[in-house]
Amino acid sequence: MTTDVITRLDPQSHAAKRGLSDLSIRNLFIIPTILFLIVFNIFPLLYSLYYSFTDFRASTNAPANFIGLQNYRELLNDPFIWNNFVITAKYVIVSVAGQVVVGFGVALLLNRDIPYKGLITTLLLLPMMLSMAVVGLFWKLLYDPSFGIINYALGLGTFEWLANPDMALYAVAITDIWMWSPFVMLLSLAGLSAVPKHLYEAAAIDRAGSLYTFFRITLPLVAPILMIAIIFRTMEAFKTFDLAYILTSQPTTEVLSIRLYKMAFQEWQTGRSCALAYIMLIVVVAITNIYVKYLNKVKER
Amino acid sequence: MRRKIAGIVAGIGLTLASGTSALAQELTIFWAEWDPANYLQELVNEYEAETGVRVTVETTPWSDFQTKAFTEFNARGDAYDLVVGDSQWLGAGSTGGHYVDLTDFFKEHNLGEVMAPATVKYYAEYPGNSGKYWAIPLEGDAVGWSYRTDWFEDPKEMEAFKAKYGYDLAPPKDWKQLRDIAEFFHRPDEKRYGVAIYTDNSYDALVMGVENAIFSFGGELGNYETYEVEGYINSDKAVAALEAYKELYQFTPPGWAKTFFVENNQAITEGLAAMSMNYFAFFPALLNEATNPHAKNTGFFANPAGPDGDQFAALGGQGISIVSYSQNKEEAMKFLEWFIRDDVQKRWAELGGYTCHAKTLESEEFRNATPYNEAFYQTMFKVKDFWAVPEFAELLQQINQRIYPYIVGGEGTAKEALDALAVDWTETFKKYDRLQ
Amino acid sequence: MAAVRTPAERTLNRLAIVSVLLVTLIFLAPIYWITATAFKPRNLATTVPPTVMFEPEVSPFVKLFLRRSQLREAPSEEQYAAAPWWEQLVFDGGEKVVRSGTGEVRWSAYPDRFMNSLIIAVSSTVLAVGMGTLTAYGFSRFKVAGEQDWLFFILSTRMLPPVVVAIPMFLMYRVFGLTDTHVGLIILYTAFNMSFSVWLMKGFIDEIPREYEEAALVDGYTRLQAFFKVVLPEAATGIAATAVFCFIIAWNEYAFALIMTNRRAQTAPPFIPSQIGSGLPDWTVIAAGTVLFLLPVAIFTFLLRNHLLRGMSFGAIRK
Repeated sequence: MTTDVITRLDPQSHAAKRGLSDLSIRNLFIIPTILFLIVFNIFPLLYSLYYSFTDFRASTNAPANFIGLQNYRELLNDPFIWNNFVITAKYVIVSVAGQVVVGFGVALLLNRDIPYKGLITTLLLLPMMLSMAVVGLFWKLLYDPSFGIINYALGLGTFEWLANPDMALYAVAITDIWMWSPFVMLLSLAGLSAVPKHLYEAAAIDRAGSLYTFFRITLPLVAPILMIAIIFRTMEAFKTFDLAYILTSQPTTEVLSIRLYKMAFQEWQTGRSCALAYIMLIVVVAITNIYVKYLNKVKER
Repeated sequence: MRRKIAGIVAGIGLTLASGTSALAQELTIFWAEWDPANYLQELVNEYEAETGVRVTVETTPWSDFQTKAFTEFNARGDAYDLVVGDSQWLGAGSTGGHYVDLTDFFKEHNLGEVMAPATVKYYAEYPGNSGKYWAIPLEGDAVGWSYRTDWFEDPKEMEAFKAKYGYDLAPPKDWKQLRDIAEFFHRPDEKRYGVAIYTDNSYDALVMGVENAIFSFGGELGNYETYEVEGYINSDKAVAALEAYKELYQFTPPGWAKTFFVENNQAITEGLAAMSMNYFAFFPALLNEATNPHAKNTGFFANPAGPDGDQFAALGGQGISIVSYSQNKEEAMKFLEWFIRDDVQKRWAELGGYTCHAKTLESEEFRNATPYNEAFYQTMFKVKDFWAVPEFAELLQQINQRIYPYIVGGEGTAKEALDALAVDWTETFKKYDRLQ
Repeated sequence: MAAVRTPAERTLNRLAIVSVLLVTLIFLAPIYWITATAFKPRNLATTVPPTVMFEPEVSPFVKLFLRRSQLREAPSEEQYAAAPWWEQLVFDGGEKVVRSGTGEVRWSAYPDRFMNSLIIAVSSTVLAVGMGTLTAYGFSRFKVAGEQDWLFFILSTRMLPPVVVAIPMFLMYRVFGLTDTHVGLIILYTAFNMSFSVWLMKGFIDEIPREYEEAALVDGYTRLQAFFKVVLPEAATGIAATAVFCFIIAWNEYAFALIMTNRRAQTAPPFIPSQIGSGLPDWTVIAAGTVLFLLPVAIFTFLLRNHLLRGMSFGAIRK
């Protein structure tokens, strides 16, 4: 990672006199963004943190009572919530793994002499350009055993994708994979096209096997940007709401965000929902931290 | 000199006053995105023509209606002057201070008698029997049934049905017949299914469906005055009702695990089901051949009775309330005075609104206006509703968590599900100090 | 990509082409279905079994722009004959056109919402990508105390579930008078996309060899000139990719658009799925709204496709 400011300008030089100093440029570039994000996020963060220790309900006029850790204790003792965690974990793993396999796989294929590559890439990106709500609505139709084209086209009869408690989560994940693999694909493609040709040529001269080339040259060079894709997809999958909420209402697909939504916006248990949000935040921060550590390690290679 | 100043001050005061009243020439009503909101817009256009006050009906999709409305209320927002809110919101709306108290208005205009009694009880009064009113019944609604007359009147089917069940095939009189007919028409090989019912547990759909059974079986959700639930919600009657609903579920079309009004109407229009449960408000689409190819062969009946002859239906519908954060409360009050006029209520019904106005409801004209108005009229006198306490959504979540796995997933028994629910609900009522 | 040489490689390449086409077809099938639905007559949208062959019509696109309401019975023949063609299309779908008190035809909210979406998505994308690129450069090239922590903070702004941020955010917006304003949503989406923009751009800028700037500085450029004339062009690919993603996310955001805005500034996503009418959604109109709404992003992406793919020219001299 970056350790030093490159080539410090000689303070006496022309260049230094004409332009801003490196320090002011750095501050000018970084500080507004950081300030903006702090100002924008600090209130919601503190608000949620404060109310997570109270029995506050936004829908009433009753004042919030400080109840210490009670919300956290009750949430962590609630078997339904634990179940929500397990479902969410399963969903994140299936859906992110699927997106990486499909997205990276397609990127590898596209990283060859493919005619109309620009057009094909644009077409492949179409699913992620749709709004989640619309994707949910239409996939519900597509999956329908009676009106749906999926069963009709594949000859699956009345196979129940969403009504079957064991299948529903995978059906949601399939939709998510369809929608977001293109994201992984595009980032991978950007990474792949940055792999210098001469490395492949050198490998070819050494008569290295294609597997060897892939694991020793391609993958390490693409890894950093692929990791960024994975970090963002994991964070999004962990927060997933719309798709699962619109497609099914099985207890086996009640991911954390759905429970959180109901708690915050239907039941108006504002205090408790803030506590759940913080529990989720801690989990995401922990997971992302591991990813970022790994990302930095990969970059140092 | 002093007089002069006083004069100036008074003048400024007047201009300010007229300034605000000029601003008040506009009212915003918030409702969900559906046709009755269009009818209401047509109705209030006439108010504008009459008074010059521009009224806009603003809408949001049903699935987000509650979220959007309460986010606005909780922040004490004045974006809406009036809101057409669900009956369950009364508790939160009144105790939360979001709704203006309309008790005096109610008494002054004798609305307790002008509007149908059930609508006043469920759309306007909170807490129950308190004599305090927070809304004017606007759109009456309840659950009814649509069915395929051509399937029911097919001589071959009628003969086969009689041979099998020993009585004539006709719209069901009770839940036992409902079940028999559903079973009779359930033919997956022919892609025909018995019945379409509500199963969506993301909000109140499944519960509304199950309530139809529980209330008609003579069961209750609990004692609405003492908040006791043990022995009510898990009574034998309620258990039998839940079992009956579960039985119906096996005669539904495939994939019927997250269904509400849209799916249930599609079950009729696409020729999937013989009978379909739905709110009356969603029936207009079934009458027009352009939207329902089987329009000529679609009939309607009221929710059938239970084994002991009790006959009730789950309540839908909404009342209109004044938002207490509105800047135009007086103007809104004037609008309500106009809205409850006999001629306006009649016009409301003509436009397609489900009036709660007793006189209009009882008129021959209304009862014969559509094939389902008669069933609607009958139903509106035997409706019951879910809890309307401010924490109703927690109760809703708990009942969904208990009964959905039983009905759709086939887990456990009805008794187990309802016993567990009685414990959940008791705990919740204790938490809010309604029970000791 | 390596030049094709041997016959074996040629076969491999052909195989790749076939697989790519196959994958593309699978990915496009649902989109085709939505597009097909947008051209169907209303009664063919949901049938058992699904209708594959049909005579396409434009009525869903016409209806999308009109405020409509369900009719309980078909209009009389005279009424139908007297109506203009677009109103007849609405009649065919079992609905009528809603008119105002003075008889004017009422437009649906779609065109306004569409414009709002354009204004908000474009502005927030420019802001997020612009600020994100500067910040990424700052972190990439200069020493910053606690750099890792700041970067993680930026990333973490995206971790809180939006559901929970929504309530305090709404209160905050109300205080500042930002609810139901374009500016409010622009700021919101800029903040949403910032973490993504910074992280992605930092990834790209880290890969740009410093030698380039050093050479420029030696040539007498100031740091700023070097940034604008050397680094930015090199980072074009990254900027394009980041812009595409930020635009897509701002364009389709649903939850906050719903909660933070009402009539004036609401974007299209909450409107599109709301064609419920009287208990029967008009799937064809939902599809038409979706297809029209997809066009701007699709075009934007298509225009930037070469940037997305050009690859980073500096890759060759990578250390």
